[in-house]
Amino acid sequence: MVHPDSVLAEIDQQFPQSLERVFELLRFPSVGTDPAHAPDCRRAAEWLVRGLEAMGFTAGLRETTGQPLVVGSYAPPGGGPELPHILFYGHYDVQPADPLELWTSAPFEPQIRKGKSGKFSIFARGAADDKGQLMTFLEASRCWLKVHGTLPFRLTVMIEGDEEGDAAHLDAFLRTNARQFPVDAVFICDTGMWDEKTPAIDTRLRGCMGIEVTITGPRIDLHSGYYGGPARNPIKVLSCILADIHDARGRITIPRFYDGVKPIPAKLRKQWEALRFPAKRFLGDVGLSVPAGEAGYSVLEQMWARPTAEVNGIHGGYQGLGTKTVLPAEATAKLTFRLVEGQDPGKIRRAFKQFVKDRLPPDCKARFDDSGGDSRGIAVSQDTPWMVAARAALKAEFGREAVMMGAGYSIPAVESFKTHLGADSVLVGFGLADDNAHSPDEKYDVDSFRHGTRAWARIIAQFARE
Amino acid sequence: MTQLAAVLDAAARDFDNSLERLFSLVRIPSISTDPAHAADCAKAAQAIVDDLTALGFEADVRKTPGRPMVVAHYTPKGAARNMPHFLFYGHYDVQPADPLNLWKTPPFEPTVQTDKAGIARMYGRGTADDKGQLMTFVEAARAWITTTGTLPIKATFLIEGEEESGSPSLVPFLKANRKALSCDAAFVCDTNMWDAKTPAITTRLRGLVHEEITITGPSIDLHSGMYGGPAMNPIRVLSKVIAALHDKNGKVTIPGFYDGVAALPKATKKQWQSLKFSDAKFLKEVGLKEPAGEKGKSVLEQIWARPTAEVNGIWGGYTGVGTKTVLPSQAHAKLTFRLVGKQDPEKVLKAFHGFVKGLIPKDCKVTFSGRGGGSPATEIPEDNPVIAKSAKALKDEFRRDAVLMGSGGSIPICRFFKDILGMDSILVGFGLNDDAIHSPNEKYNLESYRRGIRSWVRIMGEFGA
Repeated sequence: MVHPDSVLAEIDQQFPQSLERVFELLRFPSVGTDPAHAPDCRRAAEWLVRGLEAMGFTAGLRETTGQPLVVGSYAPPGGGPELPHILFYGHYDVQPADPLELWTSAPFEPQIRKGKSGKFSIFARGAADDKGQLMTFLEASRCWLKVHGTLPFRLTVMIEGDEEGDAAHLDAFLRTNARQFPVDAVFICDTGMWDEKTPAIDTRLRGCMGIEVTITGPRIDLHSGYYGGPARNPIKVLSCILADIHDARGRITIPRFYDGVKPIPAKLRKQWEALRFPAKRFLGDVGLSVPAGEAGYSVLEQMWARPTAEVNGIHGGYQGLGTKTVLPAEATAKLTFRLVEGQDPGKIRRAFKQFVKDRLPPDCKARFDDSGGDSRGIAVSQDTPWMVAARAALKAEFGREAVMMGAGYSIPAVESFKTHLGADSVLVGFGLADDNAHSPDEKYDVDSFRHGTRAWARIIAQFARE
Repeated sequence: MTQLAAVLDAAARDFDNSLERLFSLVRIPSISTDPAHAADCAKAAQAIVDDLTALGFEADVRKTPGRPMVVAHYTPKGAARNMPHFLFYGHYDVQPADPLNLWKTPPFEPTVQTDKAGIARMYGRGTADDKGQLMTFVEAARAWITTTGTLPIKATFLIEGEEESGSPSLVPFLKANRKALSCDAAFVCDTNMWDAKTPAITTRLRGLVHEEITITGPSIDLHSGMYGGPAMNPIRVLSKVIAALHDKNGKVTIPGFYDGVAALPKATKKQWQSLKFSDAKFLKEVGLKEPAGEKGKSVLEQIWARPTAEVNGIWGGYTGVGTKTVLPSQAHAKLTFRLVGKQDPEKVLKAFHGFVKGLIPKDCKVTFSGRGGGSPATEIPEDNPVIAKSAKALKDEFRRDAVLMGSGGSIPICRFFKDILGMDSILVGFGLNDDAIHSPNEKYNLESYRRGIRSWVRIMGEFGA
């Protein structure tokens, strides 16, 4: 390995310019799920292409069935097939910013200020998820190239625009174009640290199946005076279905939902227990005190190793000011199911639809929107050379051993890389629990950005030879 | 010729003029909800006062903080102290006319059109709701006065201008004018017939109380991947609350909810059964088949005589296009309860609050942001003597028994008349279900107008000496 000191010095010296580049990327309101923002997504993608080209990459936009995909590739001059081929993955799309009124500063006008923790943070939608994170890798690569003129591996950078939306787009692209990406490993920067001082590598990810259900009843909205009583109310029907999903102990009642879910190995449970996860504070930080998941599992287990059924949104009838005595014609709920290794998203989708249909009274129909995406839960090996390199580099940067943790959320791309490219992913990220990813006032600590960039330089150094 | 026949004859001869007088009132765009039309409201009120003054009423435009009221009194010369005294209520304000592009003729330029079957209808905003209806009793009074020189009863007309905007000035006005407005009973002309051939008196109106609830769980919206599992989801809690509101037989489960709800008298039940109301047709028109209310009750009974708990709106989390993997901090619902019999709105609200609180887990809190208040149901005893005489007059006119019907909706005025002025309201109206009130192309059948006038002539006569 090459000592990374000169690159680390370059990173520190370049830091203001690196921040400025993150700001430029954050200013694009690239909300991938909202068609109105499609042009913003494309602009963000084009900006990334220009950045990669400036670093010496061959880069361009690849069209997919969704947002354009940024693909850049770098082949070290004179480097042969003996060099490893790494794929770095991130996403330039962000979550919608609403409710806008809860933001302290405008979501797409990034700002550095002291947050609640007293540390300086970059506030903007996407600061943590994932623009700030993906830029840690790109800035580290930039500085490495500036100092050494070349990278110690072949590199493909793939930045997608549908991570917050439908994972099927990237999946289809990788399926079709798998041969163009004969990679050995995937590095992903979209996860969190264990705490602000302790780095982490995610080895378990929950999958996610998203579905929207609309219950329709009467042909038109009805006057609740004239029809209240005899007319079936879809809000009521929908509520009854949602209320039925969990039993009193927090277990999901959809038939065969738990098929394939393995018990958590005793050894792993012990390892997680040893982390002394501050469950009380974790919940307390967001105004809660009682774990609401399955009884008999710790909070960490509920997040890392147990599947869930969650309602992300619900709407129907009159939602404006004051009252309107209406019986609505329909009501809609958006749900996501977090899945663990062994569960089949397709089967669960079918089981949920049947569960809904079994509960429809006469006169009501259910309509489903399946575009919410499917991904399986995943568990990756801890012993690959890539994992070993990442652990060593993180320890050097943070002075602490990285925690091998689970993550409650899904990164469907991990599954696609495994399925289509046959490559395992190394998930190294620098987000913190209080980053408000997906919430108003999303932020990314300036320290996260600095140490993240430095950590990637150290990971790159693991592969370099004198 | 009897006196009544003479008055009816006069009304018939004057019908074209009656129509023209109604049209000049419809031409005034007296939209109460729109401040730009305040002057039009004042103009409509003044026009009615001028007309009634010319007829011999003591009539005034009375100012309120909102739109003015018309109050007019008629006391026959030498009237006995015990001569029956009735209040007649209507409203001169109308709903906004938009969407204008859906009107086939301009909303404030009334026209008459006759279809192939020979049915003549007048079109215009307010023709049915409520200018056409209120003019039926004005024209009936005119026919009596022009024919006999006087009215057979003491009459007070109260015509308000804020009915379509929630009548904010009405309660204070009634309280301030208790003495002048208290009569033996009130006739309210703002309802429908049973069908085009069958008159009706509405004797039951459901009450109404609103509530809005917000359930708060986590202090902020959370990422459903990170927190899904351990974090309590307020949408789930709200769903449970709503799901728990009814049992499998459609009965509301809130403890004490049915306090004050009496069983439907057998005679009434029988009468309603004899109406041969088609549950299937009623539901089919709106795409439904099976009554969803309380099991064992007919549709009419569910609408007219049973209380309900309804969710009018629900929202929480991400409701835009596409997906957002969020666990929301809050979930909201708007509810209304339709009340019957002696159900007390305050008590119902309180019971509902207790019911919800009992279902809220430790980490959630619930807030109620409804305005409270609400109105109890109105039920006029069917043996009320004014009803009996009115029903007779209607039968004389239509040659059919008047249906004593209920209405699922609420007309708060009846409650105010009872509580503030101590009088029952008799709801007699001549609208039809297809009048398109509040919608484009509102209409009133000429036959509704003509028969309405004649009906009031008879009702007034019924109470004469």
